[in-house]
Amino acid sequence: MRKYLPWVGLVARLILGGTLIVAGYLKFDELDKSQMAVRAYELLPIPLANFMGIFLPFFELAIGILLVLGASTRIAAFLSGLLMFAFMIGISQAWARGLSIDCGCFGGGGQVAPGEADYVTPLLRDTGLTLLAIYLTLFPHTKIGLDKKPKSAPEQGEGNNG
Amino acid sequence: MAKAQPGKDNFTRNIVIAVVVGVLLIMLVPTLLSKQTNTSAKVPASVSADRGYGIVFNDELKGVPLIEIYEDFQCPVCAQFEKLQGDYIESLITAKKATVVYHTLSFLGPESVNAANAAACSADEGKFLGYHRALYANQPAENTGVWSNDVLGILGQAAGITSKSFTSCVNNMDYQGWVSNAAAAGAKANVNSTPTVFINGKEINRQNEYFNADKFKAAVERG
Repeated sequence: MRKYLPWVGLVARLILGGTLIVAGYLKFDELDKSQMAVRAYELLPIPLANFMGIFLPFFELAIGILLVLGASTRIAAFLSGLLMFAFMIGISQAWARGLSIDCGCFGGGGQVAPGEADYVTPLLRDTGLTLLAIYLTLFPHTKIGLDKKPKSAPEQGEGNNG
Repeated sequence: MAKAQPGKDNFTRNIVIAVVVGVLLIMLVPTLLSKQTNTSAKVPASVSADRGYGIVFNDELKGVPLIEIYEDFQCPVCAQFEKLQGDYIESLITAKKATVVYHTLSFLGPESVNAANAAACSADEGKFLGYHRALYANQPAENTGVWSNDVLGILGQAAGITSKSFTSCVNNMDYQGWVSNAAAAGAKANVNSTPTVFINGKEINRQNEYFNADKFKAAVERG
């Protein structure tokens, strides 16, 4: 079983990293909308929300690329786990407070007509991605990546040793 | 060999990390700076920086409702709003019964920037309201390439603008800096969708006051 863990890790890296790259790329050239999406959560002070609207697409691209390449997998996975967790808090509070917003996960965002908001899909997706991030933080040694294999397991790159 | 190999791997890895993080940081910083208000940008006629770089009508009136409209010329819902409430708002302007500020946002894409710039050029010609109407009456689907500056220049004729200065203002994107300032002001004002209408600083009710002529009128008169 251990033998296959690095392959599972590779798949996890590609899914998590790929999703982050797509999400970052789609927001990248419509930053006004991205700012709007963050503001619509009504969670952060406006100047900070506007900053995050610009910062997040870049951040998502950076950790997404690092995950796909398998460079500093553990740190990138940990950061993306934190990010997904923050997204889940944002979406849940918007849902609980009855805001009508588009999650803006893959571009778009902002207020939508009452009743058109969908919170379940992004929450489920982010839950899955958080699990992948946790897995990769615990077992960051995966197949086909730039991270060097730990000395203890040069052949199969078994993880869980820090 | 056993010692050199991991070292070499790490070197490559660290270079890759440095390049990825470095390139994105280098792109992030100018992007953040470009979103700052550029106070030296050229400003069209009847624009007030104090009023969020909006195009202002009846600024001098006292004791009348202040109507602030945030819109994007490419937004289909804004076109519906214009169709339903445009005449009424224009009548308030001509009858000097309200101060009206048009904030032309541009978050839907490059053609929104073109249109906002062209609208600013029309303000210089004193024909903003007519051009505003012409834009919505001829609104294409978003970012289909229809609203090139050539087309926007010709569209001026629909508002009775025939001057060369208008065409050159549109083609040279004279007010691009102002468009970006107006967008930044909209972000500061926490406008998260278009159209957004504030009356005396308070947003009207999104449930029913935007698309009901009577309720909108009541909201304006309530002030």
